[in-house]
Amino acid sequence: MKRIQRLLIVSLAVCLVGFTAAPVLGHEITIALGSEPTTLDPQLREDGGERAVNDNIYETLMARYPDGTLVPGLAASEPKLLDPTTWEVKLCPGIKFHNGEPFNADAVVYSIQRIIDPKFNSEQISFFNTIKGAEKVDDLTVRIFTTGPDPILLSRLYWMKMVPPVHSKDPKFAETPVGTGPFKFVKWTRGQTIVLEANPEYCGPKTEITKVTYRFVSDPGTRLAGLKAGEFDVITNLLPEFTKEVPQAIHIMGLEFPIIILSADSGPTKDVRVRQALNYAVDKKALADGLFEGFAQISPGQLLSPSFFGFNKDVEAYPYDPEKAKALLREAGATGATVELVGTAGRWLKDREIVEAVASFWDKVGVKTKVRIFEFNEYLNRLFDRKTRADAIFVVSSNELMDADKSFSAYYKAGGVGSSNSDKELAALIDEARTETDVDKRAALYHQAVKRAYDQAYFVWLLNIEDIYGVSKKLDWSGRVDAKILVSEMKIKK
Amino acid sequence: MGRYIIKRLWHGVIVIFGVTIFVFVVTRLVGDPVKVMLPLEATIEQRAAFEKQLGLDRPIWVQFVDFMTALARLDFGDSLWQHRPAMTIVFEKLPLTLELAFLGIGLAFVLSIPLGIVASLRPGGISDRSTIFVSLIGLSVPQFWLGLLLIVIFAVQLRWLPTSGVDTPAHIILPTVTMALPALARMVMIVRSSMIDELNQQYVKTCTAKGLPIYRVVGVHALRNASLPVVTLCGWELIRAIAGYSVVVETVFAWPGLGLTAIQAIEREDLILLQAIVFTVAVIVVFINILMDLVYTLIDPRLKLA
Repeated sequence: MKRIQRLLIVSLAVCLVGFTAAPVLGHEITIALGSEPTTLDPQLREDGGERAVNDNIYETLMARYPDGTLVPGLAASEPKLLDPTTWEVKLCPGIKFHNGEPFNADAVVYSIQRIIDPKFNSEQISFFNTIKGAEKVDDLTVRIFTTGPDPILLSRLYWMKMVPPVHSKDPKFAETPVGTGPFKFVKWTRGQTIVLEANPEYCGPKTEITKVTYRFVSDPGTRLAGLKAGEFDVITNLLPEFTKEVPQAIHIMGLEFPIIILSADSGPTKDVRVRQALNYAVDKKALADGLFEGFAQISPGQLLSPSFFGFNKDVEAYPYDPEKAKALLREAGATGATVELVGTAGRWLKDREIVEAVASFWDKVGVKTKVRIFEFNEYLNRLFDRKTRADAIFVVSSNELMDADKSFSAYYKAGGVGSSNSDKELAALIDEARTETDVDKRAALYHQAVKRAYDQAYFVWLLNIEDIYGVSKKLDWSGRVDAKILVSEMKIKK
Repeated sequence: MGRYIIKRLWHGVIVIFGVTIFVFVVTRLVGDPVKVMLPLEATIEQRAAFEKQLGLDRPIWVQFVDFMTALARLDFGDSLWQHRPAMTIVFEKLPLTLELAFLGIGLAFVLSIPLGIVASLRPGGISDRSTIFVSLIGLSVPQFWLGLLLIVIFAVQLRWLPTSGVDTPAHIILPTVTMALPALARMVMIVRSSMIDELNQQYVKTCTAKGLPIYRVVGVHALRNASLPVVTLCGWELIRAIAGYSVVVETVFAWPGLGLTAIQAIEREDLILLQAIVFTVAVIVVFINILMDLVYTLIDPRLKLA
């Protein structure tokens, strides 16, 4: 009996000590991502999971503030344009990679040449295909050459991570990333976790978080459960309907824009009045509130959000005005016309729901909407079909460079992979802006392009979807418009 | 015996080849990884270059010949999505799926026998009816929902167990239970009905009449005769667990096994990885089937392998 008593007392004591001696976990956090990186080589793949981790390990010559403003990163000052195709970049002195390799002109030249080398076969090459090469001037000065005038170079540089010249030749580089950023790589257990710790030698502001563990959970319900159970501190892609259940739902303007491409060359939508009517007919506020619980904003009549280069603040969304829509349709003699609306299901958040809601709005003003939902591959066949364009195609455009060029070339410009118009004047504006290096002139060109597409109603601009993160109580973080998850910007609540 | 096994192995090889070829053809006809893997805004030239890089611009029969010669070396090539040898990925994930399937179905098997026997002793009694009732619930509940329900109760509310992942032994409890419950429900029903059949046989009455204790009558004589359908079902459940349920359970619990990987490979149209997974699963299914046949002869020596 005495032995049992003693045993009980000892175990009780052990428990108490165990509890009180538990380390303060306040500065370690766990982030649940939807997918695991396929590699940790920052220059090789186009992979959201890889970016989410490597954005904390690696740095780029240009960076952005959380609101999207482009600022020098590893560059000491804004790069200067020497002639239309040559940029000169001065580098911050005294920076070292995590393994001690110096960050200097050689590292920059090497990083640029590595990613544009056709043999390297980078999936990110479409971001950098205007870069011809780079050359060292002195230890902290580099010149970058472009194939033609490239006004977006600075945005491109914000996308190019700088790698260490020696270590990146190691065959194990893709599993042992080494950068200059605020976090150092510790361990990757495939299928389970990636662990990073704060880099004590980082010259920027000190991070409050000292250790971060990434977990990979594809099911949104399981991510939510993990946050509620206290296992995760940040979860990505929180569904709008779950926002009331989490300690904090952080939402910020995202990079995804659902739109409907209207065919300006064929079908009932050939008439501009019909296209305008289809814009007036849709209650975008109802879409934002009904489908996204308010976590989306009405698109201001352009495939850009206010933080993007080229945004025209003088253009506003077509208001919801079903009467005007009916009148325009009558005027065009298109009342009762059949409009084919092509969409897909399960690819983007609420894709099918948006298409169905839009169809019912259109039906209400007097067109017959024929909704056709295809499996993604078949859907892409329709989206990319250059010969016969469907009257209306739903698509979600995303734009990481935060510059009008990418989405306008794809959807606005005649002949673009997803464009449904043959407007030569609009195409000329986009082409001109592509090589105009004077920032103000270039912005003016895009403002014109935005206005023209808006007047012609080449699209039904719907929403700008917000990114939503579920965040634990202890964290203070507000997200970024470029959708990067930078742990160095997270703070512990006092 | 030896001849029988060789014959079954030969049949198995045919099945595996059939399945592999079928997957090759279907994925090539239906899917197009180039379209799905590149960003929507990629230009036509970029798409063509990517297709060439993957070797998908070649005629399908050329691809097929390549595929078959590589298959002879068990080399499926690099996964389009992960850019590592597909077989490396499969062998990395397979143990986790097998662990989950064997634990889950093992648990179901171990529990189903006593539960089924208890229910069969008094057909129509309270224990029988409640067993049937609970089994029906177990059969009707969708597995993903069951998994989420268990997470909400045991991980979110009670905080006894982790929600997802594979770090510690505690991590396997909820996935195992989720895997086990529907199988358990079916197995209990089978144990119960075949035990009821056996207990009504003449030999059982003889055994009881000559004074054998009930546990020997039920547990040794009747159970052995009743176990054939149970073993059949058990093998079938194991196959379903590996080839089907793993997809659902692994997704819900973020268990990085073959099922979750298969779903991700389908989403990304990773033909190469998908082929490797289907091939491996086909081999396992054939193997389990042969194993089951052998187990039959151990249980019931009257069955001759011919």
